[in-house]
Amino acid sequence: MNLILKLLFLAVSLTPALTLLTWGDGTLAWPLFGGFELLFELGPLSAFFLLLLALGTPLVALPMARGTPDRAAYGLFALLLLGMQMLLLAGDFLGLFIGWEVMTWSSYLLLIRSTRTTLEGAQTYILFNLASAFLLLAGMLVFYSLTGDFRIAPLTEASAAGRWAVFILLGLAFLIKVGALPLHRWIPLGYDQAPDLFSAVLAGLISKMGLYGLLLLPTLFPDALAGLSGRLLNGPAAGYGLAWIGAITAVVATFKAISQQDIKRLLAYSSIAQLGYVVTAIGVGSSLAVGGAIFQTLVHTLVKLLLFITFAGIVLQTGQRRFNDLGHLIDRMPMAFFAVLIGIIGLAGMPPLPGFAAKYLMFVGLIDARWLLLLAAMMLSSTAAFIYCYRLIYGPFLGHANSPEARTATEAPWSYLVPQVVLMGLLVLLGIFPGFAIEVIVDPVLMTLGLTPIGAPSWGELATPYGGYDGVVLMTVFGGAFVIVTALFWLARGQMRRAGSPYDLSFAGEVPTADTPLHYGAGMGRELRRIPLIGWILAHTTAGVQAGLTRQTLAAAGLLGGLYRRDPQTWTLLAVLVLVVASTLLALNGGWF
Amino acid sequence: MHVLLDSLAMIALCYVMGFLFQGFYRQFNARLQRRWGPSIWQNLYDNMKFLLKSETLIHGPMFFFGPMIIAAGAITTLLFVPFLKDSDWLQGVSTHGNLILIIYLLVVGPLGNALAVGSSGNPFGVMGVTRGLTRLMGLEVPFFLGLALVMLQHETTSVHAIMAAQDGIAHWNLITNPIAFAVILLPFIASQNASPFDVVGAPVEVYAGPRVEFGGRLLGVLMTQNMMMTIAKLVLVVDLFLGGASNVLELIAKAFALFLLTTAISAAFPRLKTEQTVDFFWKVPLGLAVLGVVLNVWLI
Amino acid sequence: MYHKSDCEGFQCEQRMLEANLGQDDAGLGVVERLIGWLRQRSLFVLAYGTGCGAIEMRPLMTSRFDAERFGIIGAATPRQADVLVISGYLAVKTLKRVIRSYEQMQEPKYVIALGSCTINGGMYWDSYNTIKCLDHYIPVDMYINGCMPRPEALIEGFTALQERIRRGEPGGYQRYRDNIDWYKANQRRVFGDNMPPAYTYDWYSEGAT
Repeated sequence: MNLILKLLFLAVSLTPALTLLTWGDGTLAWPLFGGFELLFELGPLSAFFLLLLALGTPLVALPMARGTPDRAAYGLFALLLLGMQMLLLAGDFLGLFIGWEVMTWSSYLLLIRSTRTTLEGAQTYILFNLASAFLLLAGMLVFYSLTGDFRIAPLTEASAAGRWAVFILLGLAFLIKVGALPLHRWIPLGYDQAPDLFSAVLAGLISKMGLYGLLLLPTLFPDALAGLSGRLLNGPAAGYGLAWIGAITAVVATFKAISQQDIKRLLAYSSIAQLGYVVTAIGVGSSLAVGGAIFQTLVHTLVKLLLFITFAGIVLQTGQRRFNDLGHLIDRMPMAFFAVLIGIIGLAGMPPLPGFAAKYLMFVGLIDARWLLLLAAMMLSSTAAFIYCYRLIYGPFLGHANSPEARTATEAPWSYLVPQVVLMGLLVLLGIFPGFAIEVIVDPVLMTLGLTPIGAPSWGELATPYGGYDGVVLMTVFGGAFVIVTALFWLARGQMRRAGSPYDLSFAGEVPTADTPLHYGAGMGRELRRIPLIGWILAHTTAGVQAGLTRQTLAAAGLLGGLYRRDPQTWTLLAVLVLVVASTLLALNGGWF
Repeated sequence: MHVLLDSLAMIALCYVMGFLFQGFYRQFNARLQRRWGPSIWQNLYDNMKFLLKSETLIHGPMFFFGPMIIAAGAITTLLFVPFLKDSDWLQGVSTHGNLILIIYLLVVGPLGNALAVGSSGNPFGVMGVTRGLTRLMGLEVPFFLGLALVMLQHETTSVHAIMAAQDGIAHWNLITNPIAFAVILLPFIASQNASPFDVVGAPVEVYAGPRVEFGGRLLGVLMTQNMMMTIAKLVLVVDLFLGGASNVLELIAKAFALFLLTTAISAAFPRLKTEQTVDFFWKVPLGLAVLGVVLNVWLI
Repeated sequence: MYHKSDCEGFQCEQRMLEANLGQDDAGLGVVERLIGWLRQRSLFVLAYGTGCGAIEMRPLMTSRFDAERFGIIGAATPRQADVLVISGYLAVKTLKRVIRSYEQMQEPKYVIALGSCTINGGMYWDSYNTIKCLDHYIPVDMYINGCMPRPEALIEGFTALQERIRRGEPGGYQRYRDNIDWYKANQRRVFGDNMPPAYTYDWYSEGAT
């Protein structure tokens, strides 16, 4: 019975792949009441996100199917898949909205199944996501009032005010899902408290639905947002604001990530930062930048799935989730070490893994748009990311074991290892063949969005008008140099000896013992606070800013209330004054009379 | 075959120039302090001595592979930097790369080595790595923005194209884009790990920094890659701002001139703390870079 | 002897000491001679400031004496050092750290001991807590006499050590490796229960067998 249930669950997890392979070009219309109908079709943009889903879900479902089956979780997961596929396939806003709601509620119910969920976390999660859903509803109603149709199509004839309203409402809805500052509060709480494997789905797949929405915006407003309000420098002015939102999100979230003590919270903040890059690139809206955004979406999905699944395995084996409590797992969990190593190389955007190709396209897109200040902000965030990436690998895997569990841990079960190996392989292959990803995955999406495809002369090469690089050559040179240097070192004379104990350290002549605090995982990033800018950012929290806003609003309301005195003369006088001022202004503007 | 020979020639040139330049640096400093100083070959001797040590202690496989990664990273970096223009020789694989790739490759090796430092388990080493990453965060922003000004000026990220555009001294980016050069100069010194931004590996700070556990032949490998990397970075700046070089002598002369400038700056200023370094980079060079952006992009 | 024009004082003594050191290096191949020559050109010094001699170590690096012209430069950690300089008398407590530092250095490694304290305890000869004969605990390659020796004497000692390295003579580290049991027994006699953990030295015995 259990086995059948598990097999059924795994089969369900394959449905996105099945949909992607079997759908074809057809459209499916499902009539509802009063002439409305639900329209489903598969365009290249939806196909790209469906591909992410098809890759991700079986890999998460495999470890989820381990142990005694959790029937409720399986059912909710199936519902979640249904919702996500529905919103991706939807050809009109109705289907999108229904899918969005199904996704929101099923993910919420999955989230609160964790024992770690607090009331605050659950409330924040559902409130922010409902706000997102209702903004989406408002946006689509405004859209309907402008066009008389729910179909997702370019919005060309509408008035400027109507178009701005749609842009802002939908933009906000999707930015909440992506977790742009200051609407990100639910992400660290949610990702941290969710069941460990479900965090992989949240970060890797559900957050991508917000990006899908943001990428719909260029479809609604053709000419890459430039139709909305003209151009600034070499890019769309409307996108400039969006790009700065993304850049500030990336910078602040990166510094927040550095200061976290909990692995999953760090990953949550890094997820916010990485999606900040994507938002910036979507704001630029040129073919290079959007290509980079799509590439980054792909890489981020792979990397976050890999990291969350790996750390879920570590939490499973050790029961510890803080940097202070782990350490020196490299000998005990070598596979997890390699997975995290590949993961952080992708996260940091280092060559030769595909994170670099994505960053390269985005950087070149920013240079092309001449938005160099944004480029500086992106660079700041992506260099600061090295620090938290180093923490991710040093804290759990290097240094010294800091808890009894970390001293005795063993490698995670095979159902955790298989997804790790698959994802590592995909990342390395994409790194060697960036041109392949451009040609096969990115270009079709760019063409749907009405942008020029980037194209690639060969699978190994990434080519842009600004120059490119060859992934195969890069990997060959690096690998070759590594092999030759290592071989030369081995061939040279002289003996090597391995230290007899992890405490055999050069420690100013002292002999450290197990009681000496040698693990630097906790202190890392603490001295960063001495840098004024970072100290200022870390001293402020979004919750604090929001509380401050509340206080200011209350104070302003109190000030306003002071005008309403008890004696009628005062407020009658006020009313007369307001009337006079208003009519004077109107008269000066030539209205009314 | 040509590529292989060419690569070997580049590595050899980098190594020889590396120890001679660093030997010169030590002698220059010595003369400033009114002493004789070591011979100009001293860095070769030091390096050879370490490579010939008969015993090397390692702290596990990752500790061993760290220096190999950093050496491979240095070799990869220098092979992606074109040394000469209008020449078949000393090109490496630079036609397959670009400037942004090189900037990222510069940090691949140090990050690989940071893993080795971490796996040694010495907290002083990790402290040094954290300081190094913090300094990197400070220097990379103005450095990259300065180079972005150059990339914007030539509308390409290819080092070859930028070099080819600078025919004649009047077209050197040093002349046509002096703000960009002023912006990158100090971050460049920091990326060379030279004074006044050398807090990371400075011997009396945090017990030698990231290198605290490395000894014997592994330290020799670290020294070797450091010398090669110094030259690769110098050549990159020569390519970008001094118009590149068409023969080896010209290359050495230009790289030496640039080295002399950075050495003089290094010798004159005392060391900054890590947070002072970052704050300085985010105020002075970055402020200058923002000024350059405003001038180049918004006002034209 | 003391009236020669080309040397004076301790220089002449040093020369007498060196005169009967093995002259011929005919047994060495070209490679060994080259290696020896490269090794002697570069000595990284771990200066262990135990006694008053530490004050004479510092001027060595300054402009006046400039030891860097001989390739002698300070190292921060024992892992990177070639020469351990023991500058003066050693308490039992310090000896433990000295041994630890010495064992962490990578071979080939050398020890230079300054002053009479390292030979016989010097003016602390009757102290309960001072090591009388350093050579019983770690192998000393070179003693530099004086109380304390001036920086010039230190340089003289270093050059003499360089000469020995160049000729490829067996260093003290080989003695330590061969007689590890004797050295450890001596150390155990002073430390008692306070010996450093076994992993710090048991690899020596493994290497011998």
